[in-house]
Amino acid sequence: MTILDVQHDVSAFRRAIRDWLAEVVPPDWKARMARASNEEYIAFQRWWMAERSKVGLAIPHWPKEYGGAGLSQRHLIAVADEMARADAPQNRLFTISLIHMPGTLLPHGTEAQKRRYLSGVANGEVWCQGFSEPNSGSDLASLRCRAVRDGDHYVINGQKIWSSNSMYADHCLLLTRTDPNAQKHRGITYFIMDMRSPGVEVRPIRQANGRAEFGELFLTDVRIPAENMIDAENNGWRVAQATLASERGVISFEGGERQRYEIEAFYRNSLKTGAAWLRDVQLHREFISLLAEMQAARRLLRRVLEESERQGASASVLPSIVKLSSTVLRQRICSFMVRISGVDGQAFALLAEEPFGSPMFDFMSAFSGTIAGGTNEIQRNIVAERGLGMPRI
Amino acid sequence: VTSAIETASTLDQATLDALRESVASVLAEQCDSIALHAFIDGKNALDKALWAQAGQLGWLGLGIPEQFGGLGMGAEGLAILHGELGRHSAPGPYIATLSAARAIVETGGEAMRATLLPRLASGEVSAAVPATLDARGLTLSGAGISGTLRCLGSADAGFILAPADDGWVIVDLTRAEVTVAPMWDRTRDVIDVRLKEATPVSTLPDAMATRASLTRAMALAVAADSAGGARSITERTIAYMKTREQFGQPIAGFQALKHRAADLATKLAVADEMVRHAVQRMVADEPDAELWATLAKSEVTEACVFVTTDCVQLHGGVGFTWDFDPHIFLKRARLNEVLIMANTALRDHAAAALAAITASGRSALELEL
Repeated sequence: MTILDVQHDVSAFRRAIRDWLAEVVPPDWKARMARASNEEYIAFQRWWMAERSKVGLAIPHWPKEYGGAGLSQRHLIAVADEMARADAPQNRLFTISLIHMPGTLLPHGTEAQKRRYLSGVANGEVWCQGFSEPNSGSDLASLRCRAVRDGDHYVINGQKIWSSNSMYADHCLLLTRTDPNAQKHRGITYFIMDMRSPGVEVRPIRQANGRAEFGELFLTDVRIPAENMIDAENNGWRVAQATLASERGVISFEGGERQRYEIEAFYRNSLKTGAAWLRDVQLHREFISLLAEMQAARRLLRRVLEESERQGASASVLPSIVKLSSTVLRQRICSFMVRISGVDGQAFALLAEEPFGSPMFDFMSAFSGTIAGGTNEIQRNIVAERGLGMPRI
Repeated sequence: VTSAIETASTLDQATLDALRESVASVLAEQCDSIALHAFIDGKNALDKALWAQAGQLGWLGLGIPEQFGGLGMGAEGLAILHGELGRHSAPGPYIATLSAARAIVETGGEAMRATLLPRLASGEVSAAVPATLDARGLTLSGAGISGTLRCLGSADAGFILAPADDGWVIVDLTRAEVTVAPMWDRTRDVIDVRLKEATPVSTLPDAMATRASLTRAMALAVAADSAGGARSITERTIAYMKTREQFGQPIAGFQALKHRAADLATKLAVADEMVRHAVQRMVADEPDAELWATLAKSEVTEACVFVTTDCVQLHGGVGFTWDFDPHIFLKRARLNEVLIMANTALRDHAAAALAAITASGRSALELEL
């Protein structure tokens, strides 16, 4: 019996995942990764993807016709919850491959594109995203990376930035400008770019948290076959909305659940060791308030999932509200952990074995929540304009 | 105790929606801004009119089982009612009376339930409870109960549910000295009750349980009231910002103000979930119900003070006038904030509860998927 064989019974499905995780996740993986080089980390990520693939949990959310298991949202939530509970590794290297690429190709790709690319992910194909540019961040639609038609190809020249794991990527979801004279949202075209094409140069960007997950893409006369265009020429902005919308949902839910287990483990450990902060009444009160907000945030993440199953959810600003509340909360939790850790917490360390074992790393990393995926300032515009009906001027 | 006398643990959504709509429509019609301002200025008896209607419509029996003349809708029904009352800043002794009723339902003796609950459900009598539950105002001696206690409840409250030394008692107020203490929040009555060797109507069998039950009920009521009030004044403020023009445009178009409004909307979403979480834990009668009810009170009332304060400011000059709505909601929020006990003390109680639950090997963070 494999895990997918018992999917008709959600509790049996859960138990099967739990058993499999207990068997396959190395108990010392966090300690190992805390000391790992970039190459070791990437190898570990590929190993984990391969393990998931063996039991059919690599791409369980995709339709069966494209190699997935066609699981319902209820099952995906169970998978995410069990992964969080077991503190299993996340598949960060494959975030774009698992979320953004199918979120784009399933609604907008051609049949040939879906057949070619969707099945590749289970075999370990890594995708990156070429959206932002040095001069086009929040104002994404002002992007200038040029694509010019040349026979049955397009020739690309320009620069992309904040492209996670682009150093290791096989393919890129690329936004380009095809009509510089059109109104800015109307001259954009969306391509699938082979990262091994001549003219693609990737330089890693070292982040404030000490790691280098992002890359900067320099594209010089890169030739992309016209068949790699997603949807029609100059229709890329509409397609990009599908990519951006795919970030909402189960992945954020899993993040919220992981944080719950982390916090709980941290608190149990504090009780066990008689941590000093427990005796500081002010800190204790602050902690309990953060816990209340965390519980509310977890409930809100569940609401986003409920809403995403209903019709017309795309108009909702709830995902923006949830992003605002949970990313700021994450920052405050990490800030709390930094403050209670004293000078020891300032000692340089990247990944840590214990939950919040490297509070400064977590704190510095928390900015990825408030800045990436549309800054919180952009989210506030969305909430005010689309949610509260405040005029756009 | 609760589960033994209340059969329905969870009500279906349609029933709850219908309740909300019915309460909202009555209040929208009778407790609009104009009626509320007139009440605050002593020009109508809105509190009495609403109370009479609340009795007829069954609102006062929402937390009381059907066998005692109530509707048996428990914490879910009560959260809806208090939320809507908060939305309209409705005047009346709802928090005191409905919370006292809950404490009697959950911890009163059989005779006490049979005598008092039907009268509370019909609105025949209202109740008073201590404004802060850590107050030590009353003493019990052989001669009876004496002392002074500041209470939430109206001047004509029929009885008080309060601690006297180590016990919890119910004392008839018809012959007691009751003085109304004028508050900045004119939408609720606070009274000073002076007792001299009064004979209690009855004594609650388990003082600790009564105290815990009243704390839970008041905490949920105050949190729901605050969440409703904060949402309502935010909606009113944003509506105003869309009409108020400066520099040739509605001020709602300025990004600095849009971002403030978005932050308020985010706080409101979080506050609503805190109230819902407390309700869910209370309905399921979980060991962490009191923890989440007290945290809902401490966190939501503070959020509500923040929101209502910002709503005064976002109105500009008119926000500082008596004739506009924000100050009414701000003052109600400030009273809510200090009821039951200081929020810092509530957090200390919650922290102790969290430690106890964790030490027993359970989790206080369970959520349904």
